[in-house]
This record gives sequence, C-alpha cells and structure tokens, in this order.
Amino acid sequence: MSDSAIRVHNLYRFFGPLQAVNGISFEIPHGSVCGFVGANGAGKTTTMRILASLDYPTMGHAEICGINVIHHPAEVRRLIGWMPDHFGNYDNMTVLEYLDFYARALGYKGKERRQRIEEVMDFTDLVPLADRFSNKLSKGMTQRLCLGRSLLHDPQVLIMDEPAAGLDPKARVELKHLIRVLAKEGKTIFISSHILSELGEMCDTLLFLNNGRIVHHGDSESLKRSSDSLGGVLYDVQLDGDPQALSDWAILQPNVELLESRKTGGRIRIDTEDPGKAADVLSRMVKDNLRVIDFHREQRNLEDAFIDMLSNIENGNQAVPTPPPFHPPIPRPAEEPEALI
Amino acid sequence: MKISFPQDFPDRLSPMLVKELRQGLRTRSFIGVFLTLQIVLGIILLGAGSAATSDQAGSTISNIIFIFFSIAVIIIQPMRGMTALSSEIKGNTIDMMVLTRLSAWRIVAGKWSALVSQSALILVTIIPYLILRYFFGGMNLIGEVVMLILIFISSATLTAITVGLSASPSVILRSILPMVGIPLGAYAALMMILFSGMGGGGSVFDFFSLESTESKIAISLYITACLYYGFFLLSIGTSLIAPHAENYSTLRRVVACFVTIAAAAIGIIYCDDVDVMLVVYYLIFAPIFTISLTEFGTLVPPVVQKFNRYGILGRFLGIFLLPTWATGVFFCYLLTCIAGISLFLVRDSYINNDSIVVGMGLLSGMVFPALLVNLFKMYGPSRVSNYILFSVASGIIALTLMGIAESLSSKGLLWLFVWIPPVSMTMTDGGGINDDALLVATAFFNMLYFAIFICMAARNYRRSIRELNHSGS
Repeated sequence: MSDSAIRVHNLYRFFGPLQAVNGISFEIPHGSVCGFVGANGAGKTTTMRILASLDYPTMGHAEICGINVIHHPAEVRRLIGWMPDHFGNYDNMTVLEYLDFYARALGYKGKERRQRIEEVMDFTDLVPLADRFSNKLSKGMTQRLCLGRSLLHDPQVLIMDEPAAGLDPKARVELKHLIRVLAKEGKTIFISSHILSELGEMCDTLLFLNNGRIVHHGDSESLKRSSDSLGGVLYDVQLDGDPQALSDWAILQPNVELLESRKTGGRIRIDTEDPGKAADVLSRMVKDNLRVIDFHREQRNLEDAFIDMLSNIENGNQAVPTPPPFHPPIPRPAEEPEALI
Repeated sequence: MKISFPQDFPDRLSPMLVKELRQGLRTRSFIGVFLTLQIVLGIILLGAGSAATSDQAGSTISNIIFIFFSIAVIIIQPMRGMTALSSEIKGNTIDMMVLTRLSAWRIVAGKWSALVSQSALILVTIIPYLILRYFFGGMNLIGEVVMLILIFISSATLTAITVGLSASPSVILRSILPMVGIPLGAYAALMMILFSGMGGGGSVFDFFSLESTESKIAISLYITACLYYGFFLLSIGTSLIAPHAENYSTLRRVVACFVTIAAAAIGIIYCDDVDVMLVVYYLIFAPIFTISLTEFGTLVPPVVQKFNRYGILGRFLGIFLLPTWATGVFFCYLLTCIAGISLFLVRDSYINNDSIVVGMGLLSGMVFPALLVNLFKMYGPSRVSNYILFSVASGIIALTLMGIAESLSSKGLLWLFVWIPPVSMTMTDGGGINDDALLVATAFFNMLYFAIFICMAARNYRRSIRELNHSGS
C-alpha cells in the first residue's frame, strides 16, 4: 500500500484560457483529515473532481492509495466515497429505497446488501427516516443520507465538497460529529468548506488554494503562526458613541489598521507585538477624544490568518510556491455548453 | 428500530431498472394513463356489448382499442422519457451513479427499459379486452397481433429517442422536438396507414397479416430501422453522460460499419434501383454522421491504451474509431467510400446526373453543418444540437430559395447559393438548369468540403495525440 492516501503531483487543469488548477502538488497520509480551503473559483471542486475520477487533468498525476486516477479510474472508484457540493434527491423514492439502489449499484446482493444498509443507516441515524420520501427531507437529513450513500462500500478515502454548506447549526454539529467518528475509524477525509473555524477543529492539516495554486499546507496553528510572523496583533475596541469615529481615527494612524467595523466599535490591528505600543495606541485614542469603554487583545482566528495571508500574497509580501513551468501543447477548449438552440 | 427491507424486486434485475420501476410506477402520469385506459376500454366494451348485433361492432372495437393503446404508448409513454436523463444531470446525481459500478450505458438502458416495461404492462392489460373483442367476430388475429407488436416496438423506439435526447443540453432538442415531433409523426403514420390503400383497399389489419411478400419486407425493414435508430439514440444519450474513460463511440461506429456493409451486400445482390439505395444509405448514415462528426471527446489514456495494445493495427484502427470528431471525419468518408463503390456495383444500374447530384447533395448535406460546427469552434455537449440547427437551417434556406426562384420563373438565383448542399438538390427538380454544370458545381463543393474537413481533422487528430503524449500517458 502507498504511504499516502492521496498524492497529487504537478496537477494542471485548464478550461480554455482559464487555469483552474495550476500545478499543485500535495500528499495526504492515511487516516488523516485534510481541510481544503479557498475562495469560490479557487479550483477546489475541480481538484476534487479529478481525484474522484470525474474529470481529467490537462497534465500531472493524481493517485488514491497508490492507484493512478487517470489510468485506473474504475479501481479508484472502489476506494473513494464522494459527496458533491450540491445534488438533488429522487422523487417517489424512500430513504431506504435510495440506499438500496446505490447498494445494488455497488454490487451488493442479498443479505450482505441489507447488512451494509443497516450499518450505514445506524451510523448516520437514518433508521427513523427509512420510509420517508428522500425528496421531502431537510437539508441536514439529506446530507446525512448522502454521507450514508458515500459510505455504503466502506471507502478508504472520503472526498467531501462543501458538506456543511447550507446546514443549520444543529445539523452542522451532527455532521462534524460523524466526520470525527469516521476519522477515528481510520478513514482519510478530504473535505472542503468555507467555515474555517470548523475545519480548524476537525482537520489535522489544512490546504489553502488561491487561483489554482496552493498557498499553505499545514495545520491550523502553523497557519496562525505564519500569519502572526507577518506582524501585528488584533484588538477589539468598544466605544461609547459613534463607531465611525474609530474608522476615521484609524485612517490617520501610522501602525494601526481597522479590520472590521462593528455596531459599537471595531477590530483593529497594531503592527507590533510590543504591549507598550498597544498602550500608546490606547492613550492616543483617549487623547483624540474617542470614548473607549473596552480595549482587549483578541485571539487570531483562522479566517483572519487566511485573509492576512491572501492580502500579503496580493501585496507581494509573501511568496507563493511557484509551480514548475508548464507549456501547454494545446489549451483544451472550454467545455461549457455553447448552445445555439 | 427494525428496518423492513423492500422485497419487491430480485437481485438479478438491473439496479437502474429497479430504481426506475419503483419511481415510475408511483408517478401520477403512469397511474393516470393506466387507469384512464382501463376505464375507457371498459366503458367501450360495455357499450359495444349492447350493440353486439352490428356487423361492424368487432372492427370498431378493435380500432378504438388500438387508437387508445397507441395514444398511451406511442405518445404519452415516450414523452415521459424527455426528462429521464436531464433530471439526473440537473440534480447532479449522474456523478454519484457513475462512481458506482453502473456504466453510462447501464444507466441509460435502465431508464429506457423501465419505461418500456411500463408500456409492456399497459400492453398486457389490454389483452383481456382484445380477447373479449374476439367474441364479436370478424377479427384478423394475425394482423391485429402483428400491429400490436409493431405499436409496441414503435413505442420502444420513440422512448429510446426521447431518453437518448434527454441528455442533450438543448431544450429544443430534448423537449420541444419530441413534444411536437411525436404527435405529428404518429398522426402522419396513422394517416399514411389509413389512406395509402395498403392491402388492396382492405382493412389496415390486412396489411399486417403478413400474407404478401411486400408487407413482410416492409415490416422487416421497419423493425430493423427501429432497432438501428433505437440503439443509436440510446448510444448518443450514453455518450453525453459518460465519463471520458468510457468509450461508446467505437461500438457505435462498428455497428454502423456492419450495417452499411450488410446494406451494400443486399443492395448489390437484390436491388436494381440506385435511388432506393441512396435513400437507404441516407437513413443509415444520418445518425452516425450526426454523432461522429460532432463528437467532442477528449482522448484519455484508458481509451487509447486499448487500441495501442494491438500495435500498428490498433493504431491504424484508432484513426477511424477513436472517440473524437477528427476520427469521425475519417470514418464517415470511409463509409461513404463503401456506399459509393456499392452503388456502382448495383445490378443493371443506370446512374444519371440527377442521382449523382442528389447523392453528393445528401453527403455534403450531412458534412456541411459539421464543418460549420467545427469551423466556428463550437465545443461542449451542444455540438449535436448546433449540427441539427445548421442542417434544418440549410434545408429551410434551400426551400425558401426554391420558392423565390419559382415565383420569379428563373432558377439563375439558385446558382449563387449552390454551395449550400440542399440547394443543389432542389435544382435537379424540373428543367431550366444545365445538368452538367450542376454536376460539376456540386462535385466541386463536395471536394472542397472534403479537403477542408480532412485537413482540419488531420490537424486536430495529430494535436490530440500529441497532447495525450505530453500529458504523460
């Protein structure tokens, strides 16, 4: 067996002139949970679709458990469970029939099929919903059903594209719990999400993608540290009076940046870790007639770290790992439909 | 809590068929059709029973049963296939299905067979009415049974057409065309049967009683055409949803090649009319040209490796059989060569200029829209619909020009548009045109299209192979 559950090397995917994935390389070890983060259009879904054998790269290699995704898609499909970002459910089909169909389609027969369905329904708590029509389920229930479907063949690797999108907090907690249990069972989970705080709690490593390139690969603490090392400490400031005064004031200050305006103040960044400088800033605020009622240091969260990192990349303060040179022989034409009728 | 598993379908049935039957038998459209048919037929038989003394009662009941059965299985059932694949594509469930062990072909075939099974269920339920009708007398048993089977085969073919087209991204192709085409086609077929005087003025059922050689040949050809078109349309739907690694194009082309060779052999031995053979070839070529010349496949290692395994022979066959439009061009011209040679070998044949012009017009009529699709670089799954749009548009232009020329009593105008393939065919109709000049012009444009298309195809094929090698295969 290969050392890595997922191995990607110099992967490119072009859609005409659009470089959706631009020479990314990474490895995810067996049994780990990796979060895949990036803005919309960063190339997350394209990468995940290539790994799930649903798309082909323009160039590069991708392997699941040592099996080449491009050359042996059928073998790879037996190893992966796939949860797409959005999907419809079937009309006139109960939850049990839905799982029964996929179990049949995966080649399970008779007693073995019933056993697999029972196990999956128990795990995802779908037993009470067995006779409900699948298109009448809530979003949370639907996600549990989709997770159940993707686990029917007991895959080693689970690829989940935005599974928490659109879920209410309760459903999100349930999903997070299920993912944790799966991770404990030793499954490799590759999960994309926009909710970075949740990914930080769940994932062993995080993979940040920007414009088709990996800009960070490591655990959440390393991202925070790398962002911290760029300088700056966050402070939460509460004012008595017009919060606009804080932004007007911050513009004129040399080492202070307003990150976010709030109803009663805002979040500022002071570009030094020296507590003495922070005290200077506070005294300047008071001196400039800002009616400060609260001023405290804030813990940097993943969102801040990610946004810092992106803005530093945009400003040229942080280097992005350069992919190997690629001279496309012929850019493949765009595959979007161009219907005249 | 104990789960009670459904025991309705055995394991040996295709998962797709089981899924579709579970869903389909619960749909309002099926239940509505099923119940309406039973109620209507029951009332009719009760009414006919009271008028049993009439001589015509038996045939009237037969006609009514067949009309209602036809409406159910030729119009309503195929129309239910219009959303078969589009709903899966829209719901993003196709990806989830192709990641199981179901191939794209099994998905499409399962959708089709479920609808055909429901039509079969409707067929089975009308049999008791036909048995009751037998007691009214005057029944042409073989004729009625053959017609029942033919209606069922027509229904299966039309269902294949709608299911296949339902994978198309074009709304016109997958919805409006079947919604308009199927009722119109069914009406036209009905009128043709009723008024063509088949069976020497006898009942419609007499024609289907297989007594004359003519009817046997006609019915055999009809069934063959249904099988061929049904297979092709399902295959088109399959290609539209299949992942790149699944290649259905090669099988499709091999089938078309065998059918062409068989038609050529039968034509050379039995046929003595070049024009009939031209029509037969056109019917064979229309679907394979449409899909092969517009195919938008990306050559991927799992597909190409299968050809490379056979060395030089495999690579040579790949030039005609790999799933791209470029190889489609080579393949279509290969089929044209087979057909062309056979036309010259037809017994006692006399090929006049008009036949040659019509033959070349039919060929370029199929090639020209594909040339436009590729020249305008229309990529993606809409290529087929764009091809059909260009075909229909060039036909409409030709008919319009012909109308204008006739109203002006001068066909000179048509020479300006002779490069549009159907225009040259309309010029063979009636006098006022120099036949030799028309032949030369048609041949010139055919050669021009051939040269452009072959060059484009060769360039594209070389690029595809180079790109494949570059990607590390």
